[in-house]
Amino acid sequence: MTVLRKREETMRKFTLASVIMATTALTTPAFADDHLKIVDEPLELTIHLHWPRQQGYNENFPVEKAAREMTGIYLKDATAGRNSTDSMEAMNLLIAQGNMPDIVGGHRIRQPVNQYGPEGAFLPLNDLVAEHAPHIQAFWDAHPELQQAITAYDGNYYYIPYLPDGMFGRAWYVRQDWLDKLGLEQPQNVDELHDVLVAFRDGDPNGNGRKDEVPFFAREWEEVIRLVTLWDARSTGSDTFHDFYVTDDGKVVHPYAQDGYRDAMSHIAEWYAEGLIDAEIFTRGSSARDYLLSENLGGMTHDWFASTSGYNAALKDKVEGFDFKPFLPPASVSGVRMEEHRRTPLKPDGWAISYMNEHPVETIKYFDFWFTEEGRNLSNFGVEGETWDMIDGEPIFKPEVLNSDKPVNTQMYEVGAQIYRGYWMDYRYEWQWTDEDAREGIKLYEANDLLVDQFLGVSFNEEEQSVYDKYWPSLYTYMLERQQAWILGSGDIEADWDSYIQTLDKMGYSQVIEVMNSAYQRQYDE
Amino acid sequence: MTMTDNKIGGSTEELVVEAGEAQRNRRPSRMNRVGDHLRREWQLYLLLLPTILWLLIFLYKPMYGLQIAFKDYSVFRGVAGSPWVGLEHFYTLFENDQFIRALRNTIYISLLGLVFGFPMPIILALMFNEVVNQLFKKTAQTIVYLPHFISSVIIAGIVITAFSPSAGIVNTVMGWFGLNPIYFLTKAEWFRPIFVGTGIWQEAGFQSIVYLAAIAGISPTLYESAVVDGATRFQMMWKITLPMILPTIIIMLIIRIGNMLEVSFEMIILLYQPATYETADVVNTFIYRQGIQGGQYDLAAAAGLFNAFVAFVLVMTANTISKRYSRTSLW
Repeated sequence: MTVLRKREETMRKFTLASVIMATTALTTPAFADDHLKIVDEPLELTIHLHWPRQQGYNENFPVEKAAREMTGIYLKDATAGRNSTDSMEAMNLLIAQGNMPDIVGGHRIRQPVNQYGPEGAFLPLNDLVAEHAPHIQAFWDAHPELQQAITAYDGNYYYIPYLPDGMFGRAWYVRQDWLDKLGLEQPQNVDELHDVLVAFRDGDPNGNGRKDEVPFFAREWEEVIRLVTLWDARSTGSDTFHDFYVTDDGKVVHPYAQDGYRDAMSHIAEWYAEGLIDAEIFTRGSSARDYLLSENLGGMTHDWFASTSGYNAALKDKVEGFDFKPFLPPASVSGVRMEEHRRTPLKPDGWAISYMNEHPVETIKYFDFWFTEEGRNLSNFGVEGETWDMIDGEPIFKPEVLNSDKPVNTQMYEVGAQIYRGYWMDYRYEWQWTDEDAREGIKLYEANDLLVDQFLGVSFNEEEQSVYDKYWPSLYTYMLERQQAWILGSGDIEADWDSYIQTLDKMGYSQVIEVMNSAYQRQYDE
Repeated sequence: MTMTDNKIGGSTEELVVEAGEAQRNRRPSRMNRVGDHLRREWQLYLLLLPTILWLLIFLYKPMYGLQIAFKDYSVFRGVAGSPWVGLEHFYTLFENDQFIRALRNTIYISLLGLVFGFPMPIILALMFNEVVNQLFKKTAQTIVYLPHFISSVIIAGIVITAFSPSAGIVNTVMGWFGLNPIYFLTKAEWFRPIFVGTGIWQEAGFQSIVYLAAIAGISPTLYESAVVDGATRFQMMWKITLPMILPTIIIMLIIRIGNMLEVSFEMIILLYQPATYETADVVNTFIYRQGIQGGQYDLAAAAGLFNAFVAFVLVMTANTISKRYSRTSLW
């Protein structure tokens, strides 16, 4: 009964949509024919989708409705742990309660999926994708390293990830108006950078007569550690702070156990002592950028393109002459310009098929739908004709979407696009609402060879996992403790280094590196 | 009962057997008595029921899950399906210097909190009791109760701002006396005073309510006769008020010792830094980092179980000592 009624409803909407499309004389709507239909009879699948903005899946998303019409598959919300905003917690709750919905997705599912998949909680997708999901398979064929990256220790992979697009995320930003006022150029190398920061400290660029400028600041104190790249060291290997990285000869190591780190950190400690780095870097927290920029105190930072450029418009009236510009990473002591941060091509988010799913073939076909052109546009831009139009073969947001008071991403979340399903992001989505300053910065960065390879993580087997779990949390704690002590000057890195390395060894550093590398070789050396 | 039996020893064996027989004979009537009692007092038991249910559901049922401290726990396999590993997690903990440090810090911070934090509400209550001006008293009470109702996140924000080296009030005042600013929250040696002080500021006022209530219960005749005898106010406080609220103080002390290791770890998480782990990392924050963030529920359960065990020993000891020396005890 209900199914029938729903079908009727669908038909009615379908005709209505066609009429609208026809009258506005647009290209034929993508779902005007049945070529994307997966099932003849409507099929209902339950889904757990826990993600930061909404702890659940809204069955009334316009995108969901459009996908229903195109594929015939309905998603019904069955999200666990809605009262928590922690997606890991929700996932554990879901697994512990035993009764799993057909599709399990959301934020940070990679680790649980790779751990419990081999135990039988999720279906391996390799064969399903190879047989029934040509578009996903085509993506893997073009990006084999990403398929390797999500593969669990048993050689199977268990989820379809959210695949971000675009390259640069964070960039160096400087108060161009302060530079101009002090008659300085954008710093091109470490020494010039030091001079600029000293000038910001001493030259009173904000003109209030007080020495209250904060030359280098950051919302996240970890960005200070990233300054080690100026001395050819590394602070992380991925878009997560303090992560492992892969050396040129293909070995996984941790940046904080390398000799280069010692030299670089001693310089950072000097800069901190000289007052070039925000003295309150560790406690100022996420409001640092807001506060220091709007109070006309902060001079330089390393942060995301889009949101940082946004301050030019936001502070135009408040701070006279405010001009916060992205500039190229200064060359390191050996002359290398490196932007250590980049968008990861692969997120730990996405969706998987639970072992209780009775329609795995239909489900994988449904996953594949989101990798077709129609599905990809739907997941990136929303429903065609509602939020965007196809103009000269390009999906272009409607002016009312771009000029709304609400950010475009928020509008997308509200219609069910850009949410944490397994989909491939289209950078054209973000580019359209990136402001002019940031676009220029991105072009500047893209014109130079700045990126370093990303460490996409490894999947441990049970034995490796237990070694890692046993030693890593304590090692990590110890490394960060010493790191802060060195910056704050309560320890001297040159004097402490040997005992630091000895302590790391005593605490199991070499065991962790061993399991890291055995997992890495299994996963990536084919 | 058993004590007396033992004292009398074997000589009264017959009596005991007889008593047992008598009891067996009385059993039906005893059952009846229980039934009668329940029929008469059922309203009271009904009132008790929600609390008992709450205890069973939220405190006793979860104890089933404690076994994961001895298991290699997998969420998917479940509590029952995960294999036993014996005391492995406890070995792992005690081999870990950071756990030992966290344990030491927990005890140290708790003791500091006890020594400085426990007398505060009592002193406050005594002082409020002596205030004559009602308007001043009410205003002062409201002000000291207030921090209790503010969320820890905001309290932590206030503390961080107050101790900020550039804009904080503490460093500003120090500046007037020509002292150099100190970045307090990254200095391990300052963490404990700041944390314990924050705790006192947040809770002392609210905790004084219990003592105020106890003071209100003291019979005014005691004070009247003391006035007649020419006692000073200080003497009355020292000789009447304090001794009269001593049982309350002892009970509160035992409860406090029982909760001693439950350092308000959310506040620590908000205030600590890797730079201050040395003095700030407590068992609960260690559990949080190692267990919850790292996903090692079994190890976290082992650490939590050990913490609870120490707390249990502490409260039993405190209770026994108190029973022996002051005749006041929880049970």
